[in-house]
Amino acid sequence: MKKSFYLVYFLLATSFTLFGQIESDSLSLKINTKWNGKNLNFNSSYISKQKDTIKITQLKFYISDFQVKYDDNTIFLDKNSHLIDFEKTNTSFLNITKHYKNKIKSINFCIGIDSLASVSGALSGDLDPSNGMYWAWQSGYINLKIEGNSSSCKTRKNSFNFHIGGYLKPYNAMQKIEIPVNKIQNQINLTLDLEQFFSEINLKEINSVMIPGNKAMELANLSSKMFYIE
Amino acid sequence: MRKIVLIVVFGFLTFGLISFSKSYFTPIYIEIPENWPKPIYDFKKNPLTEEGFQLGRQLFYDPILSKDNTISCASCHLQATGFTHVDHELSHGIEGKIGTRNSLTLQNLAWNKHFMWDGGVNHLDVQALAPITSEVEMNETLENVVRKLQNSEKYVGQFEKAFGTKKITGQLTLKAISQFLVSLTTTNSKYDKVKRNEEKFTEMEQKGYALFQKHCISCHTEPLLTNNEFRNNGLLMDVDLKDLGRMKITQNSKDSLLFKVPTLRNIEFTYPYMHDGRFKTLTEVIKHYNSGIHKSKTLSKELQKPMNLSDNERTELVAFLKTLTDKTFLFNTRYAYPKENNF
Repeated sequence: MKKSFYLVYFLLATSFTLFGQIESDSLSLKINTKWNGKNLNFNSSYISKQKDTIKITQLKFYISDFQVKYDDNTIFLDKNSHLIDFEKTNTSFLNITKHYKNKIKSINFCIGIDSLASVSGALSGDLDPSNGMYWAWQSGYINLKIEGNSSSCKTRKNSFNFHIGGYLKPYNAMQKIEIPVNKIQNQINLTLDLEQFFSEINLKEINSVMIPGNKAMELANLSSKMFYIE
Repeated sequence: MRKIVLIVVFGFLTFGLISFSKSYFTPIYIEIPENWPKPIYDFKKNPLTEEGFQLGRQLFYDPILSKDNTISCASCHLQATGFTHVDHELSHGIEGKIGTRNSLTLQNLAWNKHFMWDGGVNHLDVQALAPITSEVEMNETLENVVRKLQNSEKYVGQFEKAFGTKKITGQLTLKAISQFLVSLTTTNSKYDKVKRNEEKFTEMEQKGYALFQKHCISCHTEPLLTNNEFRNNGLLMDVDLKDLGRMKITQNSKDSLLFKVPTLRNIEFTYPYMHDGRFKTLTEVIKHYNSGIHKSKTLSKELQKPMNLSDNERTELVAFLKTLTDKTFLFNTRYAYPKENNF
């Protein structure tokens, strides 16, 4: 009896130690979605710098090729593509790599999916076309989807729909982003602030962009400016 | 002692057999005729199996893919007419809604580089997404199709047989459909048999073939009878549809009014013709190339001069086109509606 008690104790202790270790040893990425510095909420209305009253109803995007550069010039690269869906909170937390003691110099990542994956047919997991982030009539991924409504949009249900994507040149909408960090960290807090995005969009005129092209490129460019690190 | 070893070994083997049989698939291969180019479809990424083919076939004929369970792929792609929608200029879908184009045939798709009349789809595996999600075709989402399939005991069993998993995904659903589609090969027309020295053209067909080689072959290249490219073939734009074709995809004015060059296999049965189904008969089609070409900026360079065929020559050309009919394809029971339903 005593023996088995020790055995159980031993097992528990070992596993706790091990799991505890994993927890603190991994570098994670937390994505925070905000409007003007405050956590975004689908139930709230916001007023943009363009004086549009805005409600967000959908926010989904891909983060791919997440890279961590350390100050000793070593690099961790996560080749996967992750679908971040504001409505699924578990998607905004990613374990990137084992913790590395050195200072993080910068992070690099892409918003969207590269052209190789866009011509590879039906893929799995976060890239499965059933996630609603794959176009039908023109192949390719939607890199970023922002939907909502605003009284400024004279559209059905006052809705605006931005489905930003496209992989064929010259309309390759994937955005490469580099942000300096210069800290020792085991959690990177990446924030995107939608206020930034909407500050340069006149919703009265631009409220439906759902094909690759010039407009998609402009919006993709704008979207890359909304990311920063806290 | 020996007995124990024997039992252990025997047990181990039995276990091996059982676990093996569970993930046992029957590989199949499509037949590639001699002198044909290499298929474009990458079979390594979706190895064909009998189980996958049968699942794809089941999906192809099942209206479960549409929102109100009324439209299947076969609604617009009927086998007896080269898997296209005959008699309708523009194909119709859910609730009788009418699309903007004439449905294409489904033949020798493993050699296809682009899909749809404007080439908007770049891979066979994602082709089915277009009709599934089109508001005038099936008006459904892939996500919901997967949900419906996952709720069907029959399909869960078939996915397990085909892919070794009970978890149905969008990827596997699309790959199963592709397994059926790439298997739709037509290689046994009279034309093919003549090429293989198994049969001979009649005198009329032979003359028609000569005309074909002179006037048509630069776009309808052998043996697939398409060059997999896009061309403006001199059709006056339909003022109601205002369909700019390839330009919608590339947004490049050089692609204005360019459409996919379709294969001519089984052309006798795939009427009406052209992307908007404007011609009902082959005679009308040939008349168009003979004297009806509308000149515009992007007109194919091969069509700058009219063919100027005589009445006799036009009849000969039609005679040749009819040798592209492959009855073993059009009536192959393996491609037909799965009556047995419980393969």
